Amino acid sequence: MTPQHLLLLIVALPFLGSFAAAFLPTRARTQATLLAGLIAVVGAVGIGSLYPAVSQGQILLSVTPWLPSLDLNLTFRLSGVSWLFAMLVLVMGALVILYARYYMSDEDPVPRFFSFLLAFMGSMLGVVLSGNLIQIAFFWEVTSLFSFLLIGYWHHNQSARDGARMALMVTGAGGICLMLGFILLGQMAGGFSLDTVLASKDAIHSSPYYPLALALILIGCFTKSAQFPFHFWLPHAMAAPTPVSAYLHSATMVKAGVFILILLWPVLSGTDLWYFAVAPIGAITLLIGAWVAIFQQDLKGLLAYSTISHLGLIVLLLGLGSPLAAVAAIFHTVNHATFKASLFMAAGIIDHETGTRDIRKLGGLWNYMPITATLAMVAAAAMAGVPLLNGFLSKEMFLAEVLEDHSGTLIDAVLPWLATIASAFAVLYSIRFIHQVFFVAPPEPLPRTPHEPPPWMRRPIEILVLACLLIGIFPAATIGPFLASAVRDTLGDQAPAYSLAVWHGFNRPLFLSLTALAGGLILYILFGGRLNAAKASPVVGRLKARRTFEAVVERGIAIAGWLHALAGTRRLQPQLRVLMIFALAAAALPFLFLGYSVGSERWTGVDPVFALLWLIGGSCALAAAWTAKFHRLAALILVGAAGLATCISFVWLSAPDLALTQLLVEIVTTVLLLLGLRWLPKRQPDIWPETRMPVQVLARRGGDLAIAIIAGLGMALISYAVMTRPVTDSIADFFTRNAYAEGGGTNIVNVILVDFRAFDTLGEITVLAIVAITVFSLLRRFRPASDSIETPEQQRVQADFDRRHADREVGDTVTDALMVPRLIMQWMFPVIITFALYLLLRGHDLPGGGFAAGIAMSIGILLQYMAMGTREVEDRLMVLPINWIGIGMLAAALTGAGAWLFGYPLLTTFFRYLDVPLIGEVPAASALLFDLGVFAVVVGSTVLVLIALAHQSIRTPRAARPAEPKAGEEQG
Amino acid sequence: MTGWLHHLIVLPIVLPMVASAIMLLLSDRFRQGIALGTTALLVAIAAALLMQTMAAGEPWVGSYRLGNWAAPFGIVLVVDRLSAMMLMLTSVLGFTALLYALARWDRAGPRFHVLFLLLLMGLNGAFLTGDIFNLFVFFEIFLAASYGLVLHGSGQERVSAGFHYISINVATSLLFLIGVSMLYGVTGTLNMADLAVRIPNVPPEDVTLLESGASILGIAFLVKAGTWPLGLWLPRTYAAAAPPVAAMFAIMSKVGIYIILRLSMLLFGDEAGMAASFANDWLLIGGMATIAFGTVGILSANTLTGIAGHYILVSSGTLLAAIGTGSERVLAGALFYLVSSTLAISAFYLVVELVQRGSAGEEAVSEPVFEDEYVGAHAVEEDNEIGVAIPATLAIIGGGFAFCALLLSGLPPLSGFIAKFAIIDGLLAQRQTVAPQTWLLIFLILGAGFAALIATMRAGIDMIWTPEDVKTPALDIVEAVPIAILLTICLSLMLWAGPVMSFMEATVSNLDDRAVYSGAVLPEPPAESARP
Repeated sequence: MTPQHLLLLIVALPFLGSFAAAFLPTRARTQATLLAGLIAVVGAVGIGSLYPAVSQGQILLSVTPWLPSLDLNLTFRLSGVSWLFAMLVLVMGALVILYARYYMSDEDPVPRFFSFLLAFMGSMLGVVLSGNLIQIAFFWEVTSLFSFLLIGYWHHNQSARDGARMALMVTGAGGICLMLGFILLGQMAGGFSLDTVLASKDAIHSSPYYPLALALILIGCFTKSAQFPFHFWLPHAMAAPTPVSAYLHSATMVKAGVFILILLWPVLSGTDLWYFAVAPIGAITLLIGAWVAIFQQDLKGLLAYSTISHLGLIVLLLGLGSPLAAVAAIFHTVNHATFKASLFMAAGIIDHETGTRDIRKLGGLWNYMPITATLAMVAAAAMAGVPLLNGFLSKEMFLAEVLEDHSGTLIDAVLPWLATIASAFAVLYSIRFIHQVFFVAPPEPLPRTPHEPPPWMRRPIEILVLACLLIGIFPAATIGPFLASAVRDTLGDQAPAYSLAVWHGFNRPLFLSLTALAGGLILYILFGGRLNAAKASPVVGRLKARRTFEAVVERGIAIAGWLHALAGTRRLQPQLRVLMIFALAAAALPFLFLGYSVGSERWTGVDPVFALLWLIGGSCALAAAWTAKFHRLAALILVGAAGLATCISFVWLSAPDLALTQLLVEIVTTVLLLLGLRWLPKRQPDIWPETRMPVQVLARRGGDLAIAIIAGLGMALISYAVMTRPVTDSIADFFTRNAYAEGGGTNIVNVILVDFRAFDTLGEITVLAIVAITVFSLLRRFRPASDSIETPEQQRVQADFDRRHADREVGDTVTDALMVPRLIMQWMFPVIITFALYLLLRGHDLPGGGFAAGIAMSIGILLQYMAMGTREVEDRLMVLPINWIGIGMLAAALTGAGAWLFGYPLLTTFFRYLDVPLIGEVPAASALLFDLGVFAVVVGSTVLVLIALAHQSIRTPRAARPAEPKAGEEQG
Repeated sequence: MTGWLHHLIVLPIVLPMVASAIMLLLSDRFRQGIALGTTALLVAIAAALLMQTMAAGEPWVGSYRLGNWAAPFGIVLVVDRLSAMMLMLTSVLGFTALLYALARWDRAGPRFHVLFLLLLMGLNGAFLTGDIFNLFVFFEIFLAASYGLVLHGSGQERVSAGFHYISINVATSLLFLIGVSMLYGVTGTLNMADLAVRIPNVPPEDVTLLESGASILGIAFLVKAGTWPLGLWLPRTYAAAAPPVAAMFAIMSKVGIYIILRLSMLLFGDEAGMAASFANDWLLIGGMATIAFGTVGILSANTLTGIAGHYILVSSGTLLAAIGTGSERVLAGALFYLVSSTLAISAFYLVVELVQRGSAGEEAVSEPVFEDEYVGAHAVEEDNEIGVAIPATLAIIGGGFAFCALLLSGLPPLSGFIAKFAIIDGLLAQRQTVAPQTWLLIFLILGAGFAALIATMRAGIDMIWTPEDVKTPALDIVEAVPIAILLTICLSLMLWAGPVMSFMEATVSNLDDRAVYSGAVLPEPPAESARP
């Protein structure tokens, strides 16, 4: 296996393991542990085996093409610094997995836990091993997601849900900034691959977008590494199970930000901006974290704030910008991971054994668990920076660095003080941790009598504490080479000479260290007793970063709601108004920019009769609009009149086909609308019966009127401009020339409909069918408004009259009154059918066609319904409109598809003259079959709507709320 | 492509039509089978067409002359990479949404399958047609079918929202017709390829009318795409529709986008003479306003369907703005985003129903509750630190929900991340100094993703993690499969991002190549065909 493959495998294994663990049985604790642990160990061994190459300064690259056009290839890159971090992730992972086996309860669904933990491990490895900026951002976000899932592992607890949510929001937002920063950085460098970026320091520093990219990347890193002011999510993440806190929130994930800062240190640092943006943030975080940690009453809270403080220390070191400081930063990252993770694990054991993590309630545990206590004491000493432990070494380097002058500003003078104070605070909270938990007698008996944990649960702590000691005593022999390769990788030529010795003689850093130790001890002696009474951390506690965050989120959502209400509406009227205004504006804008011009064909004179026709038609349309609200019947009749004017116009302009169709459509729609009118609810005649109409209503209506007038005028102007232009050489010429020659018909309109553009017709009949089916489905469940349920007044009067006379049946009056029309209508039926067929057959050459014929046919059926009433018609005449529709659609489509048999495209027509005996030559075009389909669909659709409306009148009126018809119940 | 294969182009339209006609004639029993078979066949046909466009190394445009009439006199169907891609997307959504509906929703009202297939017919036609009036016809088909489908399942909210939807769309259809007739009045043709040839030669005094007509037409498409403030109807309508219907509707707003993209590149591209790119700035502004409105909508939505509906606005806005930038790199990323976000929204509508089926109250996205500064350890002890096993069905639903949320917010590991990266990378790479409006657009895109993260996370925590709601919902395996299919496609888009993105890049570079398009559609050298 080549190193490249090994690298891929090491990253892929945890994800595969995560997937496998998800399918383990809920209680398979040991199997899940074994699986997870094995993967971590295999990974660690694998990474370890690659060390020889890395130690020689080699950089292992594994590149798989992924998205080459955007310079995003799946690149894994192992160098000195990423080796160190990958090792940290894997070794810590293995230890935490072992610890978690004993920490998690028997009843916990542990496979889910390990599944998430492994996936996190994989994505963390992805972050540190990626050789491409975008890929780093990719894995970066994935770590945030699994951190969210792990914090929320005990999601039945409110604190877990809240902590998870906050962590994801903060780190997620940071991740977005990081990605944008990376994209900018990549564009400055000319590519996203890490090697390209690391080689482009000058291009990056000279780019005008350097400050922006830096700011965005820093926000990303600071959110992840819990730097002030984004630090507040970390303490809340402590709602996670303790192994998660030890692993994600002290050893690895929170180090991701630091890792990026280290990784990009060569190209991003070295400017004033870097110094002034990074160093102060680190310093503030260092101090605030240490200060707040003093006042924590929750063990994990104390450790969390201590973590924040130490992360601040590392960030401060990186911010200083000197190579030696960078060395110290890398070193301290490793040291912090070892002692902090062991402290978290110890805290978890204490919580487990005693049932509480409250420092105030704990005490005297030395008597019950001396081994654990010893381990915790060593780790805490490392945290405090006691000599002979690893924490001391890196802290010495830190103190040496803050004593140097870096910028020549006030910061140089302040830093030594600040560092010493923060170190003293660290000593103070470390002492408090140990003293309170292990020695002071508890104020009240512990919830449970503690004893030592299972030995294997302690093993990870023992290993880590041993590491603290070994590194602290023999630094050069243990961590030395690994640190050296990481430093050489990061700093390259700038790599400084540094000494990892325990003893550097009496110098200023040692003096500061001793001062801090003594100061911390004195402070604890003076104030330690009072700390148990603390309710919040003084001064800093007032910042209430979390509360501010919540308030900002709340306010943000409230503002969003307000804006949404302001910029949107659910109501139809304003939506239509906006639509009209925008359409007007869109149509008018080009004219405003380019001017309005009338075409060359000028005024042709007006025929007074035609003008009168349009005057009448227009008046009818206006009157219809005016009466539409309160006098629907009148409005309907007026609309009919306007439609008639249109019909006559078509005739006038020599379009008999259009006129015929329009006339028939007018008839059918008017009748159907009339049938529907009866079921519309009553209008309130006067909305403001007493008072006058409010001004804003008047204004709104006036505005609508203005829009209507402008839109109408605008359409008129546009039409005028179009119609006065000379006729362009349009495709219409082709139709007139070829209708007979190629289409076999002299009725051009019909040839267009069934041949040239038969595809449009095929579509339109489909629309008709859909509309009919929809209307039918809708009306089948239609429940009329309560005021239109009862029978109309006329029917009631007639029924009363019939009832009062003994010799009359109810309904006789209407039957008598309709006697003559009924007779006529019945007699008309065959005539109309014949007429319809005539229209259909002659359509190809003379006005008519399938559409007109279909409507004529439905008029015949409609008349029967009107004459005889629904029940009587349906007793005699069985129309199955849905079948008509289906057959019609099939006929039309299959006629079109028939052309395939002859190798022609869909809807290619065929025509010839057939010599029929007696009749003579008859044109026979396949278009006729198509038209037959159109005919059937039109008949079916119209009749379907008619039936839907007609059946409203014979429904049994249900007085109270009628039950809804059951789903799926249908009628034809 | 010759012989029988040639007719493949028209099948996505004819097949659903014939199938629904047959369903009207047969009894209920056969409907589910016929419908599912038809949608599966449509997927296969779309895949074949897509392969065809991909197989050809250089720009390939296939055309189909209906009735064997030469363009521009007859109607032609045109398939190129873009339309094949849209066909594929439609077919996949059609198959998955229908499969989901078969579990229970198709029985909530009559003739669901017929309307559903006819909706597919209309959508496919709109993506295939090369004739602008025929486009109107297909718009009418899918709109009419969507009217029926919105009302499917009845109930007061559906009817009320459905009638709003119908009113707006009928008004919009009127604008469509006005726009088409103005284009015809100026150019004398309806064929898109012919329009592309004729528009550069439109005399200067007619350009005003041309632009005005195109603008009115554009408004009609912007309404369909859900552009602010013309798209206010969209979130409510989609929320009211039955879940599988809403899942299918996810593609409908993209029809408007598709047409705007097609026409703006083909008709008003760089070679369009005076009218070149006249609307780009407006598209950019409209797109950004739409993203902003969608974002505040996502944040303030108190239902999951509200989040989904407003996310559609964000998605449309992003695409419109991308078209407005006129940059090929941005557009390639935007097409990737189009596919990814459409699949995501569709899956989200399906998952949302499952999630809400389990929870007691439907509108359960509650306000966050927090105590003060974290100091004490008291809260911890009251809590139970033993995990709760999540039942398998809930785990599946929760996982599906989480993946949808990631897709919507553009987070890894699914395709949303790549899409967002590609768009932003393209935006920043446009020119040396990045213009302020580009920064604003980037900010809006990222902000919308973050808003989606906040909103879905809040809702997910409340619906899936909060104890009182953990009630195992009844889950039919038929309902999990379509969601899994959609999410798997998104995952594949991520894994094969390279080939997919090169397809998108090739698609975009074809779009404004009017010579290829017109050459494939018009029979003779285009210049002469304009004057027969």
